[in-house]
Amino acid sequence: MNLTMKVALACTTAMIGTAAAAQSMTIGITQNNVGVDSYQTTYEQAFIAAAEANDDVEVVVLDAGGDVARQIAQMEDLIQQEVDAIIIWPTNGEAVIPAVRKASQADIPVIVTNSNIAEAGFDFVASFSGPDNITQGSRSAEIMCDKFTDMGIQDEARVVQISGQPGYTTAIERAQGFEERLPEVCPNVELVETQPGDWNREKSQQVMEAFLVKYDDIDGVYAGDDNMGVGALNAAKAAGRDGITFVGATNFAVGYEAMEAGDYWGSIYQSPVDDAEAALQTAIDTINGEDLPFLNYFDTPKITQDNMGDFTKPVF
Amino acid sequence: MKLTKQSVGTFLAKQGILVAFAVFMIGFALANQRFIDIDNIAGVIRSSAILGVMALGVTFVVIGGNLDLSVGSMMSFSTIVVLDLHDKIGPALAIPAMFGLTLLLGAFIGFLVGYLKLNSLIVTLGMLSAIHGLTLTWSGGKNMDIADKSGTWFSVFGQDRLLGIPMPILIFALLAAILGLVMAKTPFGRKVYAVGGNGQAATFSGIPRARIVFFTYLVSAFCVATAGLLQASRSLGSQNTVGQGMELEVLAAVILGGASLLGGSGTIFKTVIGVLILGFIQNGLLLVGLDFYVQYIVTWAIIILAVWLDVAAKRGSLWSPIA
Repeated sequence: MNLTMKVALACTTAMIGTAAAAQSMTIGITQNNVGVDSYQTTYEQAFIAAAEANDDVEVVVLDAGGDVARQIAQMEDLIQQEVDAIIIWPTNGEAVIPAVRKASQADIPVIVTNSNIAEAGFDFVASFSGPDNITQGSRSAEIMCDKFTDMGIQDEARVVQISGQPGYTTAIERAQGFEERLPEVCPNVELVETQPGDWNREKSQQVMEAFLVKYDDIDGVYAGDDNMGVGALNAAKAAGRDGITFVGATNFAVGYEAMEAGDYWGSIYQSPVDDAEAALQTAIDTINGEDLPFLNYFDTPKITQDNMGDFTKPVF
Repeated sequence: MKLTKQSVGTFLAKQGILVAFAVFMIGFALANQRFIDIDNIAGVIRSSAILGVMALGVTFVVIGGNLDLSVGSMMSFSTIVVLDLHDKIGPALAIPAMFGLTLLLGAFIGFLVGYLKLNSLIVTLGMLSAIHGLTLTWSGGKNMDIADKSGTWFSVFGQDRLLGIPMPILIFALLAAILGLVMAKTPFGRKVYAVGGNGQAATFSGIPRARIVFFTYLVSAFCVATAGLLQASRSLGSQNTVGQGMELEVLAAVILGGASLLGGSGTIFKTVIGVLILGFIQNGLLLVGLDFYVQYIVTWAIIILAVWLDVAAKRGSLWSPIA
């Protein structure tokens, strides 16, 4: 082998090396439970699409199937593979903390997506990317209050709340945001009762049926997501009770349709595509050493019958 | 009949669960008068109907000496399948197709438990997750919704009334009456009791044990398909997990009704009472307005109380004689 060839070879190797360096960002994600609902399914598809569109990023996509033990094992796998960052959608806010700590000790930054882990684990988390559920709850309260003011019943309206599954951070925070904001904007509106609908349409239909029996006068229903809101709407329809203002969160296709039909007043528009893209971007920015806020929220705007034309119908 | 201590005892022994039921109803009615509103009662029975229909089928399986833990995810499957096919081939074909597919699942479980004599707990526990996977594969993980909700006659089963009575209640009552008769009055019913009570003795008496067990799972699958139809028709849209966890509620209702987990005893009528107790507890606690964290505990306490009253009535004393 003559000298020229050697130099050429060395150059090529160096070039390959540089090219490889530009592509060497590997991000692992362990998701909560893909396929269990349309939101998570759409999230995964959007995440993979966003990663494919970016040449600098390789992703390892895993799913815990709702199982804490499997998620912890997946965290360990990703640590073993020495990925550059791990995104986790926690199956449980408490139980995953040790695994998150382990990654952090291995100098792998952890980004929590969608629902945060418990505060005890914050030290081991680089950044949280997801919706601000407290703000969502406040915004729902504002939507409801504005509607009552339009109807002229802001001084006498009575509201019931159907919350998400007890113990879930998302459920707790949305309820908290709603309960704190409502008396600020509409001090005379009374929240008469809260019961959980467990994110389940059928269950919240049953809860609403009981509310309708119990209270002769209900002016508004706040549901922790549209799936439950539509369940409550079905109960009111079956009982022939009109004039109730329904406000939800996480606008689902069924909620959007009920708004089109004029049965359902408003919701919070939360796109799983935005959620997935924000998580990936947060991971990339973290690896690049950019300065990020610890709580990195993406915007979830209000949607009502008045402005729904500005939004496309959710795919889930 | 003279009301002697003995006759009261006999009545209690036979109908302890009914007494428990009456006690709860009176208690809740005192706490909130609206509880006994005819609208409320009809509402509770209507929402219990789905669980109830499933419990009827599982009663057959349990009396036959086996368990069925797959009914919850099987119900999700039926619901998703019928909703999906509704828009593809129309409701008139979607319903029989869904029944056919669900019965196929039941036949598969029946084959494994009946003919291969595999442990029913393991088989149906496995099927619980296998069918869940099947449902997710079918739907691609998406919620399933009927596109044209106001233009379909498919809603009759879940939302319409006949003679003023909601359809789910009628279907539940009709199915309970038929299956109750089958269980109590037909040779098939007696063979189910025999197989569940003492399988070996049943075999020696020339009862085709495998075939009887097989058919109990077919009955269960048929009931699940009916429940899926009611569920789909009621909400015209569904999550993949609609039936998740229902297998345990169903089992609770069946056992609350007094069917023995070891097989050989229980009746359809008492399962219906078990279902109603569960439904009315849930509704009653909501109407009383208990904080919902407390509701889980109270629900458990009431179930234990009901089972205790039932057992106590059977043996004629509150405490165990051999404690």
